[in-house]
Amino acid sequence: MASDTKVIGEAISRIDGLLKVTGAANYGMDWPIRNVAYAFIVKSTIAAGTITDIDTAAAEKSPGVIAVITHKNATKVVAYDPMRGIGILQDNKINFYGQNVAVLVAETFEQARAAARSIKVSYQNADSKTDFEKCVAEAVRPANRNDAVRGDFDAAFNAAEHKVDATYSTPIEHHHPMEPHSAIAVWEGDNLTLYSATQVVGGVQRGVATAFGLKPEQVHIISPHVGGGFGSKGGAWTNVILAAMAAKVVNRPVKLAVTRQNMFNSVGLRQQNRQHLRVAATAEGKLSALGHDTTQFTTTTNEFAESCGILATMMYEVPNSRVGYKSAAMNVIAPTFQRGPGESTGSFALESAIDEMAYALKMDPVEFRIKNEPPKDLSNNKPWSSRATVECLKRGAEMIGWKNRKPEPRQNRNGDNLVGYGVASGSYPSRQSPTSTLLKLARKGDDVTASVELAASDIGTGAHTIIAQTAAETLGLPMSKVAVKIGDSALPPAAGSVGSIGAASFCNSVADACNQAKTELQAKTDRKWLIAPTVAQLMDAASLNEYQTRVDAKAPADAAKYSSHAFNANFSEVWVNELTGMVRVHRHVAVTGAGRIMNAKTARSQVIGGCVWGIGMALTEESIMDPRWGNFITRSFADYHIPANLDVGTIDVAFIPEEDQFVNKLGIKGIGEVGIVGVAAAIANAVFNATGKRVRDLPITPDKLL
Amino acid sequence: MRPFKFTQAADAGSAVQAVSFNAGAKFIAGGSNLLDLMKEGVENPTELVDITRLNLTQIKSAGGGVSIGALAKNTDTANHPLIRQDYPLLTQAILAGASAQIRNMATNGGNLLQRTRCSYFYDVAMQCNKREPGTGCAAIGGINRNHAIFGASDKCIAVNPSDMSVALAALDAVVKVRGADGKERSIPFTDFHRLPGDAPEKDNNLQHGELITSIELPKSNFASHSYYLKVRDRASYAFALVSVAAALELSGGKIKQARIAMGGVAHKPWRATEAEKVLIGKAATEENFKAAADAAMKSAKPLEYNKFKIELGKRAIVLALRRATGKA
Ligand SMILES: Cc1cc2nc3c(=O)[nH]c(=O)nc-3n(C[C@H](O)[C@H](O)[C@H](O)COP(=O)(O)OP(=O)(O)OC[C@H]3O[C@@H](n4cnc5c(N)ncnc54)[C@H](O)[C@@H]3O)c2cc1C
Ligand code: SF4
Repeated sequence: MASDTKVIGEAISRIDGLLKVTGAANYGMDWPIRNVAYAFIVKSTIAAGTITDIDTAAAEKSPGVIAVITHKNATKVVAYDPMRGIGILQDNKINFYGQNVAVLVAETFEQARAAARSIKVSYQNADSKTDFEKCVAEAVRPANRNDAVRGDFDAAFNAAEHKVDATYSTPIEHHHPMEPHSAIAVWEGDNLTLYSATQVVGGVQRGVATAFGLKPEQVHIISPHVGGGFGSKGGAWTNVILAAMAAKVVNRPVKLAVTRQNMFNSVGLRQQNRQHLRVAATAEGKLSALGHDTTQFTTTTNEFAESCGILATMMYEVPNSRVGYKSAAMNVIAPTFQRGPGESTGSFALESAIDEMAYALKMDPVEFRIKNEPPKDLSNNKPWSSRATVECLKRGAEMIGWKNRKPEPRQNRNGDNLVGYGVASGSYPSRQSPTSTLLKLARKGDDVTASVELAASDIGTGAHTIIAQTAAETLGLPMSKVAVKIGDSALPPAAGSVGSIGAASFCNSVADACNQAKTELQAKTDRKWLIAPTVAQLMDAASLNEYQTRVDAKAPADAAKYSSHAFNANFSEVWVNELTGMVRVHRHVAVTGAGRIMNAKTARSQVIGGCVWGIGMALTEESIMDPRWGNFITRSFADYHIPANLDVGTIDVAFIPEEDQFVNKLGIKGIGEVGIVGVAAAIANAVFNATGKRVRDLPITPDKLL
Repeated sequence: MRPFKFTQAADAGSAVQAVSFNAGAKFIAGGSNLLDLMKEGVENPTELVDITRLNLTQIKSAGGGVSIGALAKNTDTANHPLIRQDYPLLTQAILAGASAQIRNMATNGGNLLQRTRCSYFYDVAMQCNKREPGTGCAAIGGINRNHAIFGASDKCIAVNPSDMSVALAALDAVVKVRGADGKERSIPFTDFHRLPGDAPEKDNNLQHGELITSIELPKSNFASHSYYLKVRDRASYAFALVSVAAALELSGGKIKQARIAMGGVAHKPWRATEAEKVLIGKAATEENFKAAADAAMKSAKPLEYNKFKIELGKRAIVLALRRATGKA
């Protein structure tokens, strides 16, 4: 039996895979609910001002329409979230283009959509802030951010002999999970059930409860499967509140799905960033000064700053550094967390600037990085719990064939393509968050089955599977004997699938619950064993056919003494058509040190996903706003270019084996976020190596290489 | 939903009658463009006349050339032996467009009539003379990176998105259409689409109710020296920033005939006749290709965000000619 219970780390296919490929897995909109009505949201067509009138007469008479909800007749709800909660029809103010102004409820989706088109909204325009170029001129330091200062940056930079001083831009990006946001709301008296996919079950529950003045336990969130989130499903956006409101108004269940077009102004975005990097080094290649100043926008109702400069505080051994932020309020939907929030966009700027510095010094960029490897985390003076940057760089260089790289650009060709190689390193913090687990054991003779229950969420990354692996191995059961129940707010509270905390938080909690069960069962009997007993033997000895236990797990007390991060290195080989400027990532290598890898297959998939999105960030993705009105002109996948199959060459993924004893009991660091960090920079650096053109403004579209 | 009548036409005559008699009626073929536009509220037909059952799917030799049925699928057309062998330019152009799934649905007639991808046209909240004549053009003074550098007007600066049409323009195809009177007429391909002028709502010179029945390809001597090059923001499944259909007939080391058409640059597939003139009688050299490219772009009038299309267009012409002549 031992072999099929030694499952942690194995390349095991997702246990929810069959459900998904056969269509049996229910996502937010898939639940068969009787007597359901359909809602459709009407959006504002101005960016700032007030609604002076809404003419709903035609819509009310439109076939199938049950209700038209506007700020005039909306259910009163409490402002619950300045980021996600703007547009819940409580007043006539408009803060951004595409804010919700009305909700149609009809018998069918098509009827609701058709009626929506007949609603006439009159506005009083106010001055709107929709031009990034103009707004950033007035950017100020956000209240919640002080500069991170070490040594004397100005003096060191001014005195330096070798410097890089450059500004890098990244555009607005949208998350666009495959499953758009949706909710089905069902009221029974004052109790609300919401079928809605979310990364944070408890977060949505709290948000909705606050909005409607309910106790959290009156709101039941059901979300077993999540079709991706990337940060956009981190809490209750307005679509969830409006679904619940509509269901209350029409007194029957309501389904509300955000259309793909409306995903651009409904559920957050990654804001545009302008990053000013100043790097100085000695002739020997030791960094002496590093400045990273980010200017970005936020929405008018909420302050949110992507921490682009965070890597600059800890990636390199540099005695003098200063990292700061400026932000400007704009009439745009709220910026929010998006995969590698700060680190991914920040690493594009930092790792490009490091590449520029290495080039100026005529040093190999891999060696330059290794030479400036910090012995500890200089941002807080803590030792690393473990850090695999150097191993990642060395391994990746071997895998990509770094020796084929020519130090000077334009030296490598293949037909009418210029070939180039680039590297970037990256990092993302690791953390375990409080998570409770209920473990239920049932025994028939020698046969024990386990049910592991926690309000975790699986955003398609494999949470179901690694939870089952952890329970199986800890209990000594085959995985087929372990049932995983997650994605339900009635279960014990758990961390969200956000910030790469999921795997560490869920699995440590589950392992604790399993170990606690064994200890408790042991304590119930006097029997002694020469070799460790099975759970079946323990239950038998305790004369129990059923047993359950619960833990409330949290990070180990000592964890805070260390600086814990996952680290990676990305290497890219690009082919750039010399005439057309079209860039193709021919090969990409990602090497990651992320502590214990719970499942070789799902981990690899996560990193591949990060690389693909990184390719998008580098080459294709950009949400373009018309500065005159604040509307997005890239409203569909025909205009918002996520990479197609042909854009993605070969991706090779490797992990550096790491046993980190400090980060948490199981030594898990998390890989979701770090997977995208550094990818865009490696590609941009490769484009420079190929062409001699340094594109500092993403995405690198053909016109920028002419 | 917005109600409309749905009719299945049994033959071409009744299809034409049905649409001719109802100003709000439209043909529907693969539906891959029309349905999208209806969902967006851009097109609001009161009646759809389904023409997919009409017997207009053949691809056959005709008068030395090839006749392609209007209802043959894009995929079947691109892969037909007659097309692959004699008109590889057309095969390449069709396969450069959309995705395999869409090409399996898309018909040739529908491809010619697909509407612009100007994002302001697609968004009913925006002013657009093409969608609603007289409302203005949001793209002028807006983000016009994808818009025209040739033949635009102060009413509309949109470009035609079809790849297939660019190859057909280069190949001097003829579009056969049938009208309400039951008669057929032939429209040379370069006269089929229009420049926007004062009536950007009209993409082409069809009368309401006229049905495309076939596309006629004249005999071609270009099969061994042609190339369709599409430059775009991602490697597949994106419309062209600029595309070039280049076709040459070489004889004794000289260029006997030349055809160059461009996509992504005008309201219609753009024949670069100045470039063709430069090439005729010359050797197929890089220098002559560059001269042709310069000539092609001479009359270009860029907008605020699409100046790059001039340089890109030149390079694309050179590269397409190189590849047409096996030099790259
Ligand atoms: C996501 C996406 C990406 C795409 N990318 C590309 C691309 O890169 N390049 C490219 O060239 N195309 C692209 N396309 C467009 C695609 O080629 C067209 O949608 C398709 O060719 C239309 O053919 P259809 O038969 O589906 O037309 P339909 O949608 O059925 O009809 C389109 C129009 O033609 C009219 N019509 C159809 N047949 C006839 C006829 N016989 N006579 C008279 N009128 C007729 C209809 O009334 C309608 O107005 C893309 C489409 C999509 C959805
Ligand atoms: S360019 Fe033409 S299609 Fe685009 S908005 Fe202007 S009028 Fe409409």
